[in-house]
Amino acid sequence: MTRLTSLPPAQAQRLAELECPDFKTRPWVTGPTLSKRRVAIVSSAGLVVRGENPFRGRDADYRAIPAVTKPEELLMSHISINFDRTGFQEDWNVAFPLDRLNELAADGMIGSVARTHYSFMGATDPVEMELQARELAGRLKQDQVDAVILSPV
Amino acid sequence: MSALGHYIEEEGIATVAISLIRPQTENTKPPRALWVPFELGRPFGPPNGPAFQKRVLLAALRLLEREDGPVIIEDFADDDPRGQPDPAWRPPQVPAAAAGSTAETLAARLEAEIPLLQGAHDRWLAQHGRTTVGLSAMPIIDCGRYVADWVRGKAPSSPRDGFSAILILRFAVDDLKAYYLEAGAAGAPKPSSRQVGDWFWNDTAVGAAIVELRAIGLASADERLKAVLGNFMVPAVRVAMMS
Repeated sequence: MTRLTSLPPAQAQRLAELECPDFKTRPWVTGPTLSKRRVAIVSSAGLVVRGENPFRGRDADYRAIPAVTKPEELLMSHISINFDRTGFQEDWNVAFPLDRLNELAADGMIGSVARTHYSFMGATDPVEMELQARELAGRLKQDQVDAVILSPV
Repeated sequence: MSALGHYIEEEGIATVAISLIRPQTENTKPPRALWVPFELGRPFGPPNGPAFQKRVLLAALRLLEREDGPVIIEDFADDDPRGQPDPAWRPPQVPAAAAGSTAETLAARLEAEIPLLQGAHDRWLAQHGRTTVGLSAMPIIDCGRYVADWVRGKAPSSPRDGFSAILILRFAVDDLKAYYLEAGAAGAPKPSSRQVGDWFWNDTAVGAAIVELRAIGLASADERLKAVLGNFMVPAVRVAMMS
């Protein structure tokens, strides 16, 4: 079960035809080689650190996930039921590849890993998340992040 | 996801997105994206497949070094090796439903079933050291009781300040699903999501109760109840199988 053709036709059509923002600009930021980049994860899986309030629905805010967070402390509160959770249950790297990033940093493939990572709720209209996303960029800059891997579910 | 990348890149930070639904990515036109042919929910592929996951992550990150954008959308060629069923997997045993089930018998069966999964869930915890149960902040037995009361038509009040009864119901259902799917995958043979999902939805009382909650919601005159129970209980793929 890997492609849209594997889904019920109505669901596949809804996903394929989902209205997306029509941006008028095409931003493009360059930077140093990968081995000098500081990388952060921004997920849209509705991830929350255990003890914090889960996302309640189509919330537009985001949650911080400190890099010291342990796998047993991370929960997924995405409102959608139409994606697999068993992969994340077995191994958080399926949706939040922090261990893999740390390994790449240890191997010198990337420069370093951000001090904090972040999660939105992906079912929210992206236009409603614009202000929060731009504010988040400021926090990422404060952490010297110059590369973001965006992880959906 | 691609839209978030657009906003963050406009603020001066380079981004690369994993794409699970290629048409959406093609429409949004992010600076860089790597489409992966994996199941929704698995952007980096197989659980406990570190070498494979790292290949996906590196393939995405290397797009940051390209100079021929925007827009760059590349495809990851390999399928998730854990996407196929494991014939060696066996689900935990649960009592079968009796003929002529009523709301009360279903609710009682659900409450009796949850403790039967504890051994399997303990094995899961010992094996993996973590659980993703916890959104409701209620013990799993209480999650079962709360869902059972909804099946009985009691519409119990929320036990948690600041959370509506419907929201707690959704989180209790999420916790029960997580508990069962983790218990179902305890042990060495690892089922595909389809395999363990078949067991959950076809064989367990909790699965049947969640299907019943959806029916209760769709029949309700309360529009919020109808929306939440109708849309956020049973996955579309399971609804399609039932119809």
